[in-house]
Amino acid sequence: MLRVEHLTKVFPDGTVALRDVSFTVQDGEFLAVIGLSGAGKSTLLRCINRLIEPSAGRVIWNDIDITAVKRGELCRIRRQIGMIFQQFNLVKRSSVMTNVLSGRLGYANPWWTLVHRFAPEDHIRARNALDRVGILDKADSRADQLSGGQQQRVGIARALMQEPKLILADEPVASLDPVLAHSILQYLEQLNRQDGITVICSLHFLDLVHRYASRVIGLKDGELVFDGLPSELTRERFKEVYGEEAEMVTVGGALAA
Amino acid sequence: MAPTTKRPSNSSWLNVLSSLLVPGLGQVLQGERTRGISLFATVIVLAGLIIWQSLSVLFIPLAALWLWGVWDTLQRERGRPSGPTAPFLLAALIVYAAGIKATEIVPRRIITGWPNIQPIVHALVRPELLKHPTEDRIGYLPLQVPCIEPLPEPGENASQEPRLHTNVRCAGMGETIILEGEGFFPEFETEIWWRNPIGDWQKVIKDGIPLTVVTDAEGRFQVSLQVPTTAVPLDRLPGPGETQTHRVEARQHKPYGSLQPTQTLSLVLNKIGETIALAFIATVLAVIFALPVSLLASRNLMWGNPASRAVYYAVRAVLNIVRSVETLMWAIIFVVWVGQGPYAGTLALLLHSIAALGKLYSEAIEGIDPGPIEAIRATGATWSQVVVYAVLPQFMPSFLSFTLYRWDINVRMSTVIGLVCDAGLGFLVIQWIRLSRYNAMATAIIAIVLVVAILDYVSAFLRQRVIEGVPSVRRRGWFRRYAVPAMVTIALLALFVWSWQVAQIDIATFVTGIPDGLRLASRFFPELITRPTEEVSVSAALPVPCGAAEPTPQPPSGPRVNLSLSCASPGDPLVITGHELPPNTRVSVRWLLPDGRYLRIQKDCCDTDSMGNFRLETKVHPLLEVNPQEEQIQPGGVAVVWKQAIGGPRPSEALTTTFNLSLVTLLMALIATTLGSVVAIPVSFFAARNVMGRSIVGQAIYNFSRTVFNLWRSIEPMILAVISASWLGFGPFAGVVALALNNIPNLAKLFSEAIEEIDAGPVEAITATGANRLQTLVYAVVPQLIPRFLAYILYQWDINIRMSTVIGYVGGGGIGQQFRTWVELDMYEAAGAAVLAIVVMVWSMDYISGRVREKMV
Ligand SMILES: Nc1ncnc2c1ncn2[C@@H]1O[C@H](COP(=O)(O)OP(=O)(O)O)[C@@H](O)[C@H]1O
Ligand SMILES: [Mg+2]
Repeated sequence: MLRVEHLTKVFPDGTVALRDVSFTVQDGEFLAVIGLSGAGKSTLLRCINRLIEPSAGRVIWNDIDITAVKRGELCRIRRQIGMIFQQFNLVKRSSVMTNVLSGRLGYANPWWTLVHRFAPEDHIRARNALDRVGILDKADSRADQLSGGQQQRVGIARALMQEPKLILADEPVASLDPVLAHSILQYLEQLNRQDGITVICSLHFLDLVHRYASRVIGLKDGELVFDGLPSELTRERFKEVYGEEAEMVTVGGALAA
Repeated sequence: MAPTTKRPSNSSWLNVLSSLLVPGLGQVLQGERTRGISLFATVIVLAGLIIWQSLSVLFIPLAALWLWGVWDTLQRERGRPSGPTAPFLLAALIVYAAGIKATEIVPRRIITGWPNIQPIVHALVRPELLKHPTEDRIGYLPLQVPCIEPLPEPGENASQEPRLHTNVRCAGMGETIILEGEGFFPEFETEIWWRNPIGDWQKVIKDGIPLTVVTDAEGRFQVSLQVPTTAVPLDRLPGPGETQTHRVEARQHKPYGSLQPTQTLSLVLNKIGETIALAFIATVLAVIFALPVSLLASRNLMWGNPASRAVYYAVRAVLNIVRSVETLMWAIIFVVWVGQGPYAGTLALLLHSIAALGKLYSEAIEGIDPGPIEAIRATGATWSQVVVYAVLPQFMPSFLSFTLYRWDINVRMSTVIGLVCDAGLGFLVIQWIRLSRYNAMATAIIAIVLVVAILDYVSAFLRQRVIEGVPSVRRRGWFRRYAVPAMVTIALLALFVWSWQVAQIDIATFVTGIPDGLRLASRFFPELITRPTEEVSVSAALPVPCGAAEPTPQPPSGPRVNLSLSCASPGDPLVITGHELPPNTRVSVRWLLPDGRYLRIQKDCCDTDSMGNFRLETKVHPLLEVNPQEEQIQPGGVAVVWKQAIGGPRPSEALTTTFNLSLVTLLMALIATTLGSVVAIPVSFFAARNVMGRSIVGQAIYNFSRTVFNLWRSIEPMILAVISASWLGFGPFAGVVALALNNIPNLAKLFSEAIEEIDAGPVEAITATGANRLQTLVYAVVPQLIPRFLAYILYQWDINIRMSTVIGYVGGGGIGQQFRTWVELDMYEAAGAAVLAIVVMVWSMDYISGRVREKMV
């Protein structure tokens, strides 16, 4: 169980990105985070694994206060939390295999990894992960030779290597077209249903929220303005989150704000 | 799916065996053509290097490389291909070891040579800028060394006011004398100087430091000093019973009034003007010439018919050749043609600029998009309207930025061109270092650094404006609209006229000198192949006077020389004819003197005709006379000597030397780039904004290292070479150090920019997997940096090869040093071979780095 308590983030330049945000995520949930661009979604996700240091508040995961642990302990927590990014964040010039293997860095022998040596089991695990997302044949390609959808699948494979209990996905499909978006989210859904991995995923499209999420929270200017089931997210509530001028339009079969 | 391991079969063993016999053969048989051939080529080249430098120890790593090839074949048969790390390291080991030997690197000299540049380094913090004018009081006194009996009168007088005395009139070397003075400034410091009979001055040393005394209240002093033992060079010491007149001098320089610029400073300021004038005139003229040339070198304009296409290729080829010979090298060539001075420097800058700008402009022309031209033409515009509205707007931005860029280079070049052609600041540096006037030299070096640094700043500003394309502000009022442009125009014109004069441009001599220049140019035609020759001679005896000896009869046929007289007296007219010699050959006709030496009868004599005959009229030389007192019985005579080829053609000595030194030059560039990179990589992190962070300390370190790199970058590599040559001695080692010192700030700046441009996304992603900092560095940062660092290193190597072809002019070794020597010895064919080698080297490096960059990006 993940509990976020009174989380606040003030950047050094004075921007208040999160304002006293609290919510709870049960194990096995698929939580969607919605909100306008700049609402604080990325900041929230990054505060959970402390890529961004929160200014105040606590993040408690399975009774461990992530916000209080020391660096070495933090690495051990992070390796159980997979993360997926909008821009995929692959190392473009490294091979797909190296990118996937790098998901194992938190587990592998730190010294051997410095010369790019991984245990044979890790190689097998990486192949399985790539096989699972359907791009095993690309293992030896350079990451930047892949299409956007394929790159995101490498991102998922990298997260799989961590054998995560929780996946943070920051707008994983915002850079992809709607058809690809579904295929990527289906992988996340599969991980959520079959492997029981908790997923926290920021999304932009209302129909994707309805289709995949088991719960939704909405952020507006860093404040939590909605917390409920997708079915409770009516057009009116959606407008509250996205502002009055937001229009729901249908793009490629998906509703967008 | 783990990698499968196969058992080697019989044919596999054959492959492995063939790898053992010929490196790379196994790989070729396995179908890995490129891998095999590169391995083979590498082994051959490395073996060549080892033999060249006779470093037989290196055959061990070479053998290891060979065995690696065998192992690789075996591994491949088992289906486990191996990475290129091991062979790469082995090859690098061999190349660097050979390189260190070839470039004569002796790290010890960095320490042992330190005393040589200590005064220079000291001087750099104490340049001669301002000083007080002084009122001088100088007293002097002749002294004879050593004492003899009787002592002659000294060859010169002593000063009257102030006045010096000694207790003796003469002294031996190293003897102590007492010197007294009166009539000096009271209570003031006095320097004691010594002048030897040849006229060289030195300060008198006492207890290891220069001797100074302070006068008493009446302006007197008394001091004991030793006659310097090193005053007279060994070959000028007086003979037995002789004495020489020395002079001892006491000097006071009392400052008065306000600070005044030193003569050094005014000279430096003057030369700054000359430097800028040279760069300005060369750039302006180069633009004027390069524009038409660039039209001829533009593919899109010249592609129409075969004739213009031929012109295009010809112009391109000439531009490329001219460009690959460095400006400084052209300066050396022009010095031979028009003599030392600013003019030669201007011509060199001009020629190189025309070639460089011609190429850049033509690329800008080729980049013009035909779309807008078509569109404007479709509106019914005339040809000139098309040019104004469609062509110029596309061409102008690149034109401006290329011109500005060249002006930049020209100022940098003209600060150092004086190192070879007596013009501008570089001339002061080289002149003052020869005179050991280090403080003055430091002033000139600081001036160069300042000029370049200021120029960098100004042109960065201008370039920004050009790139941003600041829209011409609406000009309000007549003053802004007319007066400002008019004033700018007049200022530029005045600058042009002034520069023209400073550069001492002299079109008349240039035009009248063209035939000379062409003749000179033709002598640069490289001599690559020679046939070894042997001197062959025929001679005829000529007894002088008659009866001194019997004349020897000449054979009636075959090569022979006949004289019109069988014996003669000195001064008699004599006709010398040669018969059946090699036709159309230069022969040398000499007097054979009775003592066995010979004298050339006439300079530039003689050429045989198509029958192999020649005829020469002369007078009998007095030295031919046999002197019976000195028991010369051998009669003199006349000899005709010519060279006859033996054996087949072979590479000339110039070619072999050039080949050798080209390799040295390449290795110099390689080692300098390596040294520069090794230092630059760690320090570049201090100049990267994203690494240093926003804290005050971080900002301070960032700003400090940026400033240091920028100033350091302004020290031209040629200046560094002057300094490192006096530090480490002439030779490639000095060149390597100078280049490396120059590379450090340049690479550090480029590297820090690469670091600043690292994509933060992957770093974040790897951190999020729970990786520690070191792992994040290895997996997210290093892979992003490697290709860009490599590209910059390659680029720097490219520049270093160009630089190392000229760094030798001031003692940096390599092909440049040899080129300058050859030119100074009038050995132009050999110099031509050097030029050819440089062109080839620069071209192949351009090609290789272009290919590699293509692969990496
Ligand atoms: N490093 C930063 N420094 C200062 N302000 C930031 C920084 N990162 C994000 N912000 C600000 O914080 C707010 C929330 O940003 P973010 O979490 O990226 O929003 P979202 O992901 O919902 O688009 C925005 O106003 C953004 O400008
Ligand atoms: Mg975001």
